[in-house]
Amino acid sequence: MSTLVSPALPQAPRPAPRIALWMVLGAILGALVVMVGALFLLPPAVGWWVALAGCAGAAILAVAYAWERHNYGPLLVAPALALLFLLNIFPLMWSFGLSFFAFRANRLAPPRFVGLENYVGVLSDPVVWERLQTTALAVVLTVSLQMVVGFLLALLFEKQFPGRRYLLILVLTPMMLSFVAVGAFFRYYYEPTFGLLSQFVRIFTGQPFILLDTPAGAMAGIIFADAWMWSPFVMLLVLAGLVSVPKYLYEAAEIDRASWWRRFRTITFPYIRGLLLLALLFRTIEAFKLFDVVFLLTEGGPGTSTETIAVYVYRLAFQYFRTSQSAALAYIILFIVIVLTNLYLYFVNRRAREA
Amino acid sequence: MAAQRRPIGEAGWGRTLGAGIVAFVYFFPVLWIILTAFKTYSDALAIPPVWLFTPTLENFVQVFSRSYSAGAEAVATGFDRFFFNSIFIAGSSVLIALVVGTLAAYGFSRFPLRGNDTYLFIILTTRMMPAIVVIIPIFLMFQITGLAGTYLGIILLYAVFNLPFTIWMMKSFFDELSPDVEDAARMDGSSEVRLFFKICLPQVVAGIAATAVFGLILTWNEFLFALLLTGVETRTIPVAMAQTIGGDIGVRWGLLAAIETLFLIPVIVVVFVLQNHLLRGVTFGTIKR
Amino acid sequence: MTGVKRNLALAGVAAVALAGGAAHAKDIVLKMAVPDWPPTRIMQDLANEKYKAPSGNNVKLEADFIPWPNYYERLAASLTSGEKKYQMAVSDSQWLGAFVEGGYYMKINQFIDNDPEWQEIFNDLHPNLVAAYSTYPHKSENYYGFPQMPDVLIVYYRSDVFCHEDEQKAYMEKYGKKLPCTGEEMDDVDWDQVRSFGEFFMRKKGEMLAGAPADDDFFGIAYQAGKAYDFNIMQVNAFIWQHGADIWDETKAPQGQAEGVVNSPEAVKALEHYLSLLQYMPPVVKTGTMDIFKQDELFREGKIAYMIQWIGFGESTISPATSKVHDKVAFAQHPGLRGADGKIIRWANIGGQPFVLTTWNSDEITQESLAFCKWWLSPEIQTEFAKRGGQSGRRSVYERPDYVTFRPWNRTWAPALDWQKDVWHVPDFFELLVQSQEEYDKAITGQQDAKTTMDNIAAFQQRLLTEAGLIE
Repeated sequence: MSTLVSPALPQAPRPAPRIALWMVLGAILGALVVMVGALFLLPPAVGWWVALAGCAGAAILAVAYAWERHNYGPLLVAPALALLFLLNIFPLMWSFGLSFFAFRANRLAPPRFVGLENYVGVLSDPVVWERLQTTALAVVLTVSLQMVVGFLLALLFEKQFPGRRYLLILVLTPMMLSFVAVGAFFRYYYEPTFGLLSQFVRIFTGQPFILLDTPAGAMAGIIFADAWMWSPFVMLLVLAGLVSVPKYLYEAAEIDRASWWRRFRTITFPYIRGLLLLALLFRTIEAFKLFDVVFLLTEGGPGTSTETIAVYVYRLAFQYFRTSQSAALAYIILFIVIVLTNLYLYFVNRRAREA
Repeated sequence: MAAQRRPIGEAGWGRTLGAGIVAFVYFFPVLWIILTAFKTYSDALAIPPVWLFTPTLENFVQVFSRSYSAGAEAVATGFDRFFFNSIFIAGSSVLIALVVGTLAAYGFSRFPLRGNDTYLFIILTTRMMPAIVVIIPIFLMFQITGLAGTYLGIILLYAVFNLPFTIWMMKSFFDELSPDVEDAARMDGSSEVRLFFKICLPQVVAGIAATAVFGLILTWNEFLFALLLTGVETRTIPVAMAQTIGGDIGVRWGLLAAIETLFLIPVIVVVFVLQNHLLRGVTFGTIKR
Repeated sequence: MTGVKRNLALAGVAAVALAGGAAHAKDIVLKMAVPDWPPTRIMQDLANEKYKAPSGNNVKLEADFIPWPNYYERLAASLTSGEKKYQMAVSDSQWLGAFVEGGYYMKINQFIDNDPEWQEIFNDLHPNLVAAYSTYPHKSENYYGFPQMPDVLIVYYRSDVFCHEDEQKAYMEKYGKKLPCTGEEMDDVDWDQVRSFGEFFMRKKGEMLAGAPADDDFFGIAYQAGKAYDFNIMQVNAFIWQHGADIWDETKAPQGQAEGVVNSPEAVKALEHYLSLLQYMPPVVKTGTMDIFKQDELFREGKIAYMIQWIGFGESTISPATSKVHDKVAFAQHPGLRGADGKIIRWANIGGQPFVLTTWNSDEITQESLAFCKWWLSPEIQTEFAKRGGQSGRRSVYERPDYVTFRPWNRTWAPALDWQKDVWHVPDFFELLVQSQEEYDKAITGQQDAKTTMDNIAAFQQRLLTEAGLIE
């Protein structure tokens, strides 16, 4: 609590705080005792709620403590962190712990500590490297396509014109579709006998068109479907940046007779750069988890040419029941994504400092 | 100093035509799904594909009640419940995420903690893990607490699922606001609470709308958690929809398309309404720079 | 008493003593995880209409209908997480080992041994079904499941095309043999003849087909060749067994090897045979996505003359709502390889699902579940199930003279049971399956030849099964 950095605020004199730090610490300790007691002594379904009530009590006291001292920072952030801890960070730590044990969810044998064995096993598995390469290729291709298409769409919709709102909805629809429908229908679109793509090509060539029979074709099919679905996401973010450019800058540029490119580079781009990076960041993270489209379109085929790392994690966890190995692999993926994220953030911050 | 945010530049009907063509091409795969919803089974697979056909509402009827074997009576499929579930669960969880996330974002933006960036980074990290790996512990927790199969459980989970994104988005919107107005208000003796509700929040309405749109879309379509953590009573549409793609017959094209079409309507309506907000937020006299 | 009650409550079972005359009658709900398709829907209907528990308790079956495409994940997650939600579950036969080893499926030997009625039922079930649906280790004397919907591969063919005069004449001219038309004629077909059908019935759009120009490209044959789940191995195995080769045989563990068996010259020949017929199939086969649903759709849309498919898919083929060929389809036996003696060697991979009891129920629930299973397998209910489109594994039911009149394909049912085998039941089943599917898919999509494929599979299985202690 004392780590707070509060901005110096000109304020009316404060009333003396009524809640002391020891009260808060005491309440937290008390809540812990209640929690442990409740979880051990009461039936689980009841005990959990009692424990939760204990936590809530301590939390309310902590909130009151911070409120009296105008420590708004922790106050505002606490609920979000609490929720995240409960339902996200705690399970993450659980599976992190598991990744150091030998454990299979469909065997009776209890977990056995094996240290780094799972990590060694996963990293020395050529299949993992193959899947990672496939994933890297898919991520680079689909995210770049999304950025380009999304950006072009945003330029198209940047200005106000009649019917813009309605046309925008049309373009936004793909990302609202469910994966089940997208997977099923794109497989149908690509299918050589009934599929629209093949029917269309057939008008010209007389031959059915088979897209998914080669690794490259299958990859293209997946990339296309995924990019189609998520380019509007990039568009929306870019659009949000574009409309925030102050008008007078453009007017000034007009007077200077700056070229389109110069205007774009010096005025527009600085405004959308942040959001563009945010879009890039989120799309890369999501693309790393590319699963549904692959599974529904090609199931990783032909052969294993489009099987992504997410599909492999799924197989490890739910088909092979190599539970702790899948946790280890997931943490390796997490590590990769964290490194990527750090790189992005580093560039964002550097550009921000330069600007 | 504080300038009016520029209204979006004007373009004429020419742009409408260009954008219309692009939008149509882009929308085409969806359009085909919607058309299929009105087709009979044999029209859906016709060669060459049919454009003109006698539309049928049979698929929409079958979404809610159909017979599962030849000659058997039609029984309720439970889809009315699934639709309600999807709307209720997505709506509530996005709302919770917005309230909690906006507060946190404001905190991160205006009252940075020591190690602020680390917190933010950890929050982002929670979204990077493949969901499949956290499923088992979450599953166990839900079982122990009796949250499995309840609305509360899945709503909380989705709220948390949306939080990282909400916090990051909202923080970037709060960061963009000019501090001048706030400082001025502080000079006038405004309380921090008033500052937040009266000064800051109205300026980020567009941001809230955009965040809500993203959150809603992601939650609306979420599949894995819904498959594993909802029961018969709380099942959502994406899970129930899968029954049309494999069973005694491959894909029931018309039925799948009809469900998808119905599934699209609520989210399109919400996005449309929020889009108005989004536009209002950037065109009306909000103050910036 | 309270202890019992609490256990019941934990098992998710509402046990409420009814007031009145039947002092001990209770409301009991049996929750069963089931895939969402007609055989389970029919079971729920029958249970609602007809089931009365012999104990006098008020027992209800509550099937949790889960969409087929995600059924496995949902069930696996429920079992392995300790959710303990279901008292019974429908399970694919191959999953037995994986879930028995985890302690989720209940062994039922003790109940059978002590109950003459159960012994009668088990003696009446076809032994191949018992081996596939009940035993783990495979073909051992340890029983776990009861047949829910038994299933086999049979042939669906276009009677209008095969029986057409012009086609008959043209086929006779080209091959010097009669083109089979009736089911009995079609039963006696070997793979060479299937190849000739493939060759003969490949028609381009506009070419004559059964007396009229084809409105679209038409294809000779189809069988499963998809990468997903088990959608190529089920057919490949038939070729392997018919050619006298074998898959890794778990009943010979730990002496039985994979290396040398799985990639024996006969097995390679079998796979080459399987691959050589793909050229007569619709173009989608080249993508490795021709699963059982896609080939079925193509057949129902009238693009294929001759298809090998699960018998459980028949209903939608003869329904006018979903099939363009509903009045032009006939059924026959799965083809085989003609041996030197002129007899056809037939083996095929069994399909279908058993249902199992879970291990965490109170004795009372277990007894009620068993009573329900007994009711389900009773001749009357099995007959009713068959009348509504299901299949029965009980000899006394499928040998009824009127059984073949229930559905047009029922004629093929009883004989087919004799040549069914199953794939592995070992806990490592899924790893074996996925790797085989991948390798076969590479062969199907032309990325590698049969020899490499079989060598890869054998090497992988040798390694994996040695690690698992199943090969010494």
